[in-house]
Order: sequence, then C-alpha cells, then structure tokens
Amino acid sequence: MAFNLRDKGADLWDSSPKPARVAIASSAMIFAICLPFLGGTFLNTPISSYEAVLVYPVGLFVLMALGLNIVVGKSGLLDLGYVAFFAIGAYTMAILGTTTSLNFWEILPIGIGLAMLSGVILGLPTLRLRGDYLAIVTLGFGEIVRIVALNTMSIGGPNGIANIPTPPKFLSLEYTLQNQKAYYWTVLFLIFLVIWMVRRLSSRRPGRAWESIRQDEDVADLMGVRTLKYKIWAFAIGAAIGGAGGVVFAAKSMFVAPEMFTLNTSILILACVVFGGMGNIWGVITGAVILAYLPERIRFISDARLLIFGLVLVIMMNVRADGILPRKKREKSLQS
Amino acid sequence: MVYGVLRLINFANSEVFMLGTFATIITSKNIFGYVDETEPISGIKLVYTLLACMLASMLVCAITGVLVEIIAYRRLRKTGSNRLTTLISAIGVSIVISETVRILTSSAPANNPRLLDKIYLISYMGTEFHIGSVRIPVSAFEVRLDTLLVIVFAIALLFAVDRFVKHSRLGKGIRAVSMSEQNSQLMGVNLNKVISSTFFIAGLMTGAAAFFYTTVYESTKFNVGFELGLAAFTAAVLGGIGNIRGAFFGGIALGVLEIYAATIFGTQWKAVTAFVVLVLVLLFKPNGLFGESLQQARV
Amino acid sequence: MKKVLELKGVTMQFGGVTALNDVNLHVNEGEILALIGPNGAGKTTVFNVVTGVYKVTKGDIVFNGEISVVGKKRWQITEAGIARTFQNVRLFGEMTALENVVTAGDVRSKSGFVGSLFGLPRSRREEKANKEKAMELLKFMGIDHVAHKLGRNLPYGDQRRLEIARALGTQPKLLLLDEPAAGFNPSEKVALAETIKKIRDAGYTILLIEHDMSLIMGISDRVVVLDFGSKIADDSPQVVQNDPRVIEAYLGVPADAS
Repeated sequence: MAFNLRDKGADLWDSSPKPARVAIASSAMIFAICLPFLGGTFLNTPISSYEAVLVYPVGLFVLMALGLNIVVGKSGLLDLGYVAFFAIGAYTMAILGTTTSLNFWEILPIGIGLAMLSGVILGLPTLRLRGDYLAIVTLGFGEIVRIVALNTMSIGGPNGIANIPTPPKFLSLEYTLQNQKAYYWTVLFLIFLVIWMVRRLSSRRPGRAWESIRQDEDVADLMGVRTLKYKIWAFAIGAAIGGAGGVVFAAKSMFVAPEMFTLNTSILILACVVFGGMGNIWGVITGAVILAYLPERIRFISDARLLIFGLVLVIMMNVRADGILPRKKREKSLQS
Repeated sequence: MVYGVLRLINFANSEVFMLGTFATIITSKNIFGYVDETEPISGIKLVYTLLACMLASMLVCAITGVLVEIIAYRRLRKTGSNRLTTLISAIGVSIVISETVRILTSSAPANNPRLLDKIYLISYMGTEFHIGSVRIPVSAFEVRLDTLLVIVFAIALLFAVDRFVKHSRLGKGIRAVSMSEQNSQLMGVNLNKVISSTFFIAGLMTGAAAFFYTTVYESTKFNVGFELGLAAFTAAVLGGIGNIRGAFFGGIALGVLEIYAATIFGTQWKAVTAFVVLVLVLLFKPNGLFGESLQQARV
Repeated sequence: MKKVLELKGVTMQFGGVTALNDVNLHVNEGEILALIGPNGAGKTTVFNVVTGVYKVTKGDIVFNGEISVVGKKRWQITEAGIARTFQNVRLFGEMTALENVVTAGDVRSKSGFVGSLFGLPRSRREEKANKEKAMELLKFMGIDHVAHKLGRNLPYGDQRRLEIARALGTQPKLLLLDEPAAGFNPSEKVALAETIKKIRDAGYTILLIEHDMSLIMGISDRVVVLDFGSKIADDSPQVVQNDPRVIEAYLGVPADAS
C-alpha cells in the first residue's frame, strides 16, 4: 500500500493554521468524551455493558498500548511481560484500598511509583541484553509476578483480593458499578495526559535518543547517546503508565486475582501496538480501539480472540510490518 | 540449533513439541487402537508400537517445523526484517498453533495409554549408615525402565547429532551458514535448503522428546508447550546457546536445579525456577557454560 | 606538539586471533594522520578500540594526554571528544539528515528528561542552539539542501557527507574517518580531499583509514602502516611510499584501489 495515511494526516495537520489545529484537536477530544453517551447506537456491545467495555478493555488497552509503545514501538525493546506492571498497579490498589484508609486518588501515585520502580529494577540488569533475550527475560518477569501473586496467601493467593473500594465522589461524579462513565473519563484523562507527554518527549532529546536506539543502538552509543539511561527511562515510563492503568482497573473491577494478569494480556497489548503502527501514537490508539472493541461487538471473534490476535501478529509482520498507520515517515522539519 | 543458524529464537518450537505429544497419542490410540485402559504390552509388539509412535511424533514435528519456517520466517528473512519483527512473527505462530489446538480439544487433556510398563529396575528404599555416632543417610534411589530409556536415547541422540554436524555434508553446510550467511552462499551452499534442513532436524529431535514426554507422563494438553519450551530454552542458554553439547549439559543442570528448588521451596515454585535460573545466567554469565557472547556489538 | 591520541603497546586478541600486536602510535594535534595497510591489517580494529567498541587485551590508549580511554563507556568516549564514521554507511536511516546531526549534538546538552518534558527554558534554548548548529554543519558539508530528507533516501555521496556531518555534530576534538572515499569517483574524491582539509583547518584533528594512495599522499601529514596487526612504518607520506617493507606488504606498487 503506497498510500500512507499517516503522512496524509500529517500533511493536513501541518498545513492548517493554528486555530484550525485547535479546532480539530478539540473536536476529537470532545468526541472521545462523549463516547459513553453513544451506548444506544450501533456501537452497543451485546456481551457486556457498553460503558464497562469502554473502560476495559477499550480505554485501558489504549492506555497500556500507549505505554508499551514507548518501549517497543519507539525504542525497539521487546517487552513481553508488560502485564506485570499492570498487575503491580492493580494489586497496590487492592492491598492499600482494603487495608488502609487511603482512597483511589491517594493510591494512584503510589501505584504508579511502585510500577515505575519495578520497571527500573527490571531494566537495570536486563537492558544490556540483546533483543531476543530481553524478550524472554521480560516474559519471565511477567510470569514471576503472576506466580508470586498466586502463591502468596497474604495477598489472597489464587482467590485474589475482593471488596476493593470504589473511588470517592469527584466533583459531582460518582463511581459506581452501574454507571461507569466516571471511570471512563478518568481513563480518558490519563490517556490525554500520556499523549501530551509522549508528543512532548518525542520531538526532543528523549525521543531522538529512543529512535536512535531502535534504529541502530551500537551507532547511537558511539554518537554519544546514553543508551542505557534512555532505555531505562523508556521502561520506567512504560511501567508507570501500565501501573496507572492497573490502579484504575482494580478500582473499577473491585476485585483482583492472579488469573487476570496472564501472559495473554501482554501479548494482546503487544498485538495492539503492532497492529496499529509501532511508534505512531495515533496508529497505536486506533489499533487498540479496534482490537479491544471488536471482540466485544462480534461474539464470534470473542471466542477465538487470542487465535485472531496471533494471526494478526503473524500477518502484520509479514505483510505490513509498520502497522496500519506507520510511524512517522514524513520529511518535514522538526516541530519545536 | 535453529538459533545457531538463524540467530533466531524459535518461539514456535514449544508448540511444535506440543503437536508431537498429540501425534504420539493419536498414533497409539487411533492408529493402533489402544485405549486408556489397555494393559501394558511387551516384546516385539511393544517395540514396534513405540517406534511407530516415536516416528510419527518426529515426522509431525519435523514437517511442522519446516512449514513454520516457510510461512512465518522465510519471507521476513528475504526482506531483511529486523529481529523484532521476526520475533513477533514467531510469537504469533506460537499462539496460532496453541490456540487452534485449544479450540479443537476444548482445552481438555489427552491421555496416553500405558503401553510400556513402568518397571522398576532398581529400587532402593534408602537407609542410614551409622559410624559411631555419625549418621550418613543414603536416600531412596530408583531406576525406572522408561526414564532410563529416555536418558539412553538422549545420549545416543547427542552423539548422533554431534557427529552429523561435524562430518556430514549437510552438517558442514549448517555450520557454515551459522558462521556467515553471505559467505556460505558464495561458496555454493543452498541457503533455503540448509535452513529448512535445520528446522527439519530440530523438529526430529523435538518429536523424539515429545514422544518420550508423552510416554513417561502419559497425558498432554494444549498448553504443555509453554512451560517446557521455557525450560528447554533455559537449558540451552545455560549450556551456551548455539552449542549442541552445551544444550545437553544445560538440560541436565537445569533438571537438577529444579528438583533441588522444589525440595527446598516447595513444588509450586518449580515453574519459577526455570525463569530465575534464566535471568541469573543471562545476567552473570551470558555465554552460558560453553557458548558465544550475547552482548557483542557488531561494528 | 601536543599528542591528541596515543596508543601505547596496544594488543587486541579475539580468542586465538591477534588483531593488533603491540601497536604504538600517536596523533598530533591538528594533523591529518592516515592509517593504511592491506585488508585485515587491523585498521578498523584500531578505530574500534579507540572508540570503546572493544576493550584492549593489553596496553593503554590515552586521549589528550590525560584521559585513558580503556574501560570507558562508548558515550563517555564520545563525550570526551572522539567521533567516527563507518566503513559501511550507518546512518539513522529513518531520521532526516538534520535529525541525524541534532541527535549527535545532544551529547553536548545538559538538559535532562524533566527539562524536555516540561519545556524548561534551558531545554528550549539548547534545542534551538542544537538545531542551528546542526544546520551550519550541514551547510559546511554541502548538504543543507537535503536537510529534511530521510537518511536512507539520500544519494550515496550525500550519505557519506552526512556521516561526517553527524560525527562533527558531537563537537569532537578528534575525528576518525573510516574509508570516507569508498565508492567515490575521482572528482568526488578530489572534493572530499578538500573537505577533509577544510575540517582540519577548522580546528579538528583527523585520523583516517583509506586505500586510495593518491588521496592520502595529497592530504596526509603523516602515514602509519599496519600489516597483520603490527605497525611497520610511521613517517611522512613520501618516505612511506618508498619503504620496501610497505611495498612488500601490498605485494607490489600500491595501486589506486576502489
């Protein structure tokens, strides 16, 4: 396919004057905010509640895919254990929520911090390894986290932790099981935050460092790029985002158990990144939305969900390795 | 072996293994007509039944292995894709195979009839020696026919493959390709043929392993590939990846370590042992015991 | 004369192969030193040990008379002031020419992660300055007209020039050029020779590997000859050209390779 959606979109964006850009961005954001109200349309999902679906898997998959995108898509580090950070965030919410009087908003930064810390701890020794080995080690980490959760009775063991408190009322928004809008908007807010952050970093030194690491790490080293530092940053930020998602997930589900955080989830998120367009924020979001939403809409796909994801991986890699919206290929001046 | 030639970790191999285990069962049940309750058989009948099962497993694995290469990896190799892409493709293939089997078997396990009786050749209960006031325990010790066969076969296979790689024409081709793809092609080596052969041979070995696994453990499931695949990979890394003898020693070492860990920490941590060993080896001795460095830059 | 780089008794062994055998050489400030020798003599290995790709088995490498390069991380060596190009062009193909050079220039930036994220003043200043400097370097190398083209879409000559511009982007004191004229036609080589002289005149010290003898004769102040990992000559171009051992190493009169 010679037609490059990404470039066309980028051309349109660059050629628009500032007011037009603000208008486009605002309308996109408003549309996203209004999504929960479209439950009565053809978008409705037969299996689970539409609003719940928007939060998980759609919203949280988008969030996690954005996080994994920094690690895999931008920096070229294959992390197969991403679900571990999600799990750490979720369990932090679960444990602190049920044993202390801290509420969701207070636990959120703690969850993010812990996930980030584990990302750094994982990264420091392992990021010196070459691609395939990093993949296996991260996969191992993901599994170890799950198995530890499974076998540690003090945090619930195989039964997990239940009765996690819902977040307190925020302004006039209530977080309930029936009305998931508030959860959705919280996730959406996090997504907006992450998008802003990633775009900022991409056009500056960190983004360049990550790109150079992905394209030719040995040469990047020799050009003075501090590869280890930036690889660890990529891991840390990716982990932080995953952890944030985990905290929200636990608060929404009110129950966590080890079987919710399997290798499959890591693979699913990876499929979102790969399918959408590695390195490209909009591609990744599109990919995550499609892959998260479709199985909920079309039951047939839901049963064979993992199989289809596997096929997606193989086919995409062989046919269009860059994803449906490839990473930025445009030959434009650097935005400042 | 696949790694040595292609510098590719064949994620899909664990699923190939799983297919081999099913092939063994299908052969003994559907082709020979044995059922779960069959009494163990003996003599010539036993030998050729077992051989047939093993061959079926080996063939299935070898052919699947080659197919996987053609479908998932060859195209990427031709277009010079980077390692990440190939790795993701391998993962995809692995998922497709295991999910297909899962759907076909509805996640139910399959059982292998016990054709080879579990004969204890040596069974020693374990005693203690007393020398004065010092107690020297001698732990229980047993040798079973089927596990003995596995060990004997593994050693024989090691020798066979070792000789093959050293002396046969194809074996030399494989070694040449593992050192330099470009140069070996210049020297007239048919790259596709060598790579397909590598996958085929690797498949044969995997198939043999699958046969023995099914015979000893007598059941299999769609997800049996994952944990074993991980253990296999850890063993290979421990011994030094790319090195056949190393893989052999790695396998033994890992087996011993797992048992110790299970004894000390409890069996539920057995799965973690392989991972932990893997991480430790990769961190502190990435060359494994015999192999090549994993961190060398290429400039 | 100050020694910018000095190799003292450098031996580099890989398993059973000795790539460099007790090599002693130095590069004086402001000179153009050519490193020549038959294929496999160890020339690129010298570059690799100097830039920290390999760690020497024996010996020491001293930069600027003060810093020992041995055991340092690669980015530290670049930060200290050594930069290089590669035998086979290794650009960041999916970045534009400008981005390639800006990335190299980042090594001189002090701003960190937080500064980039929040757009702190120092970070913004450094970004702007870095880009301006990068454009200047592209102009200096004559490729500013392709500043916004992707590295892999550039014609070969521009790619080679970009590699040099990128190395210069790290603001080095010592520039290592690995066969910069490979694949060039005679007129391009003449232009390259002028460019290398221009770089030296701008204040850089240059160590270069080349096979083209006329190019070397034309611009080098000194020539070091390696053969099978050992130094066999170290003198002015004219003397080296007539050294019987050098001629023998090349099996005949050094022809115009490439």
